[in-house]
Amino acid sequence: MSYRFPSHDPEPLYSFTSESLGKPTVSRNGWSVYSSKRPIMTADEIDRATARIGIPMPEMIFGKNYIVVAHESGWSLGFNAVDALDLVVKHGNPEGGLVKVAYSEAWMNDKKKTSDEVHQVVKPFDWTYTTSYQGTPAPSKVTWEPTSQSIPLDKLRRPDPILFFEEVVLFEDELGDNGIAMAEVKVRVMEERLLLLCRLFVRVDDVLFRIRDTRLFIEFEDNTILREYTVKQDSYENVKRKIPHSARDSGLFLRDANWIAEKMPVIQTVTEKSALSSS
Amino acid sequence: MSDLDRAIELLKDCKIVPEEQVRDICLRAQELLIEERNIEVVDTPVTICGDIHGQFHDLITLFEHGGQCPDTNYLFLGDFVDRGFYSLESFLLLLCLKVRYPDRITLIRGNHESRQITTVYGFYDECIRKYGSANVWRSCCDVFDYLALGALVGGSGGVFCVHGGLSPAVDKLDQIRLIDRKQEVPHEGAMCDLLWSDPDDIEGWGVSPRGAGYLFGGDKVKEFNHENDISLIARAHQLVMEGYKEMFDGEIVTVWSAPNYCYRCGNVAAILTIDDGLGRTYEIFEAAPQESKGMPAKKPAADYFL
Repeated sequence: MSYRFPSHDPEPLYSFTSESLGKPTVSRNGWSVYSSKRPIMTADEIDRATARIGIPMPEMIFGKNYIVVAHESGWSLGFNAVDALDLVVKHGNPEGGLVKVAYSEAWMNDKKKTSDEVHQVVKPFDWTYTTSYQGTPAPSKVTWEPTSQSIPLDKLRRPDPILFFEEVVLFEDELGDNGIAMAEVKVRVMEERLLLLCRLFVRVDDVLFRIRDTRLFIEFEDNTILREYTVKQDSYENVKRKIPHSARDSGLFLRDANWIAEKMPVIQTVTEKSALSSS
Repeated sequence: MSDLDRAIELLKDCKIVPEEQVRDICLRAQELLIEERNIEVVDTPVTICGDIHGQFHDLITLFEHGGQCPDTNYLFLGDFVDRGFYSLESFLLLLCLKVRYPDRITLIRGNHESRQITTVYGFYDECIRKYGSANVWRSCCDVFDYLALGALVGGSGGVFCVHGGLSPAVDKLDQIRLIDRKQEVPHEGAMCDLLWSDPDDIEGWGVSPRGAGYLFGGDKVKEFNHENDISLIARAHQLVMEGYKEMFDGEIVTVWSAPNYCYRCGNVAAILTIDDGLGRTYEIFEAAPQESKGMPAKKPAADYFL
């Protein structure tokens, strides 16, 4: 089996072959999970990633972290930070489209009193690092098609013993102390199935919340492969209003991505299925 | 042993001091800080430290590497609180040292030394959790308002120290000296910029894509240093994997002193000593071992997430 991150890059920052992926942490029925958890990138690595991706990198970028779910037939889907960041909106019109911090208008108005030369917004991009990333597939081994099936939550709610669990952060940014953007991948492998969740969570203080969830579900028995992508977004005010009145500390709620995820409306959800190639 | 020395001993063991004593320490610190200028003048040799962010055990490690106060003369660039689990103990230890050895430790203000930021990023919650009320948080915030905005090390050709960076409203250090600093960190203006801005590979000034906050290029750093007869700007504010990062031909450096930031980044930390000849020595150190300090375990707990 060979696996390269990212598949389209002639000079990848990180390329993974069966050797460099190392030993799978768990294997079931021909399915294996590989994971890596390392420190944030060095200044040199950040410079190279910035040059390649074309936007400033998040403050904490775990470029060497990954989780890969692979089948012995060659099918695989992996999750890593650099590929996730490649799908962030890289050019935007700062006057519209891009999110601004809550006090931006006041700050900008104050600047009008000083000279004009300093008003240029540097490299406008989606600084909330919102990405539509749904994983990096093995080249030419993975195709997706729409399905009416959905991930069987009833099976996943059963307290089947978890054979393997891992969570790795892909990147995190404090948005200049204006909130948080965090991309994290979790996987749990049970006797009969596995579930992976790649979640991007964004909070811009006093402005908005965003969640982009990618779930990968695999049933080992029949090699069912389902991927569900969910977009959620709501204003900061709307979410804040749902905090129980009895709560002593509202801050705890506003930092709890799981609680917030339950309180936000779904904007879009897409479920697709894939299959192992029959070769 | 005086009450103050006893408090220092308690804090060095990461134990909290009674609320009344915190209030007393804060008042004494305020009396000292009110006498300080916006830009404190600091003699060499001095050891400059970046963000701490409540990582108390790493602060203890920092003192082990840099030498204990008052044996070593220290300058901290702010961001003592928030994010880590021991903001209170970290800040109070530094404050006690300030009151005990005022000429051997200088504390300047970071953007986290603010009421607004600490209510969002942990220090407020920590005070409530440890004392059951916001009184201690309030006392500490009152101290924040008196912290200096910068420091000048070594006189002519020396080092300007500030938490964030430059401001387009400030060409000369004297303009900083005119700021009325005794207030909450404002959302705009020179005081805000000094605590928030970042150097970037641009020319001149730029506005952050976030829609607020300045970025400044190497040309602005060189102009500022030339104009003010300094050789280096030492600032903190941004995480650096290697603990420090010099930019623009070594005319500005970012110093970061919170190793394994947020207990998960795996970065090293640095402190910078400026000697009498204005020579620079960086000392790198790693995080205190997590297991022995009651920190969260590295292995995540399995969770039936959906």
